[in-house]
Amino acid sequence: MATSSSSRLVRAVGRSLFSGLCNNADGLMRSAHEMMCNHLFLQQQRTFIQMRTSLKVVDNSGAKRVACIQALKGKKGARLGDTIVCSVKEAQPGGKVKKGEVHYGVVVRAAMPRGRCDGSEIKFDDNAVVLINKHGDPIGTRVFGPVPHELRKKKHSKILSLAEHLA
Amino acid sequence: MGSIVLPQALFVVPRNPTKCIPQKLSVSACVFRTPSQLNVSLFSTSGLCCSKWESRSFVVRAEAESQEEPEVAETEVPEETEVEAEAEGAVAVATEERPAFKPRVKLGDIMGILNKQAIEASDTVRPTPDIRTGDIVEIKLEVPENRKRLSIYKGIVISKQNAGIHTTIRIRRIIAGVGVEIVFPVYSPNIKELKVVKHRKVRRARLYYLRDKLPRLSTFK
Repeated sequence: MATSSSSRLVRAVGRSLFSGLCNNADGLMRSAHEMMCNHLFLQQQRTFIQMRTSLKVVDNSGAKRVACIQALKGKKGARLGDTIVCSVKEAQPGGKVKKGEVHYGVVVRAAMPRGRCDGSEIKFDDNAVVLINKHGDPIGTRVFGPVPHELRKKKHSKILSLAEHLA
Repeated sequence: MGSIVLPQALFVVPRNPTKCIPQKLSVSACVFRTPSQLNVSLFSTSGLCCSKWESRSFVVRAEAESQEEPEVAETEVPEETEVEAEAEGAVAVATEERPAFKPRVKLGDIMGILNKQAIEASDTVRPTPDIRTGDIVEIKLEVPENRKRLSIYKGIVISKQNAGIHTTIRIRRIIAGVGVEIVFPVYSPNIKELKVVKHRKVRRARLYYLRDKLPRLSTFK
């Protein structure tokens, strides 16, 4: 138990943990405590996008990776569809943005589940952002990967129109 | 025989008035001797101290039975007919007609019953197929923002959480190179069609291991 918990699988307790725990505990016959500890650490708690969160850039503005400096709305951090201020950490050589520049960005994919008004939830496998300028227009001209419906409500229709798939 | 409080109490009281007269019930005890005044007594006492009647009457009845069984048979018949005639009208307890008696709904069952009703109501609108983990399903969803077209979601069910009307399934799929997991409430009215396309043999109830595996395993055309 100690060895597995200290391995790379050490993670925080997940929000879906309770359901996982309850479901798991029914089938456990032996060393229930040990198995529960393992399961605790296997569930990953996905949280907000906050300062120093590294995100992927999914447009063709030239940046590759970006670090969040500030989540503009929300005390705890940004979620799917929110705007953030970010600093470019890694950029392509001939792009519109250079390394070290500070821009705004819209979170288009987040690993944290976002609930919708009809009771469904959506989550992606990675965190991704699209760089925009102060007025909300994307800097790049293409957006890669799926994009959620939440952007429609946040008035990011330009990004929605550029997206190749609408999740 | 109507096996309820009141007839038993009535049997008991005339025979053993001393045993079951506490201060409160003294009035009714006297009244019971005259069966014609049954109505008044029933209304007055039943509301006040039903439980007391029950406990006391059971105890006393046991004693009464053991001591005076022959008397029970005699006095039973005339009292019973009058008792039942008024008991049916007076209090809503079990009478000779068994089907009219509905068992009281217990507090713990209420949510289960409500959930079942809600599921039945949603089943009349759209029947839901049986879904298990490992099914590859296709869901046609009506999105409130885009009412013209139905969005189609396809993927493998990696978990099913049973919670009555809020039973949800988690669908995983690789869309445009990125893994997406969406949780759908199965009985939602927004889901216009839900059908099982294929089934993959899995040996688990939750397929969270697919998140760490190759994207190829979560891709569905």
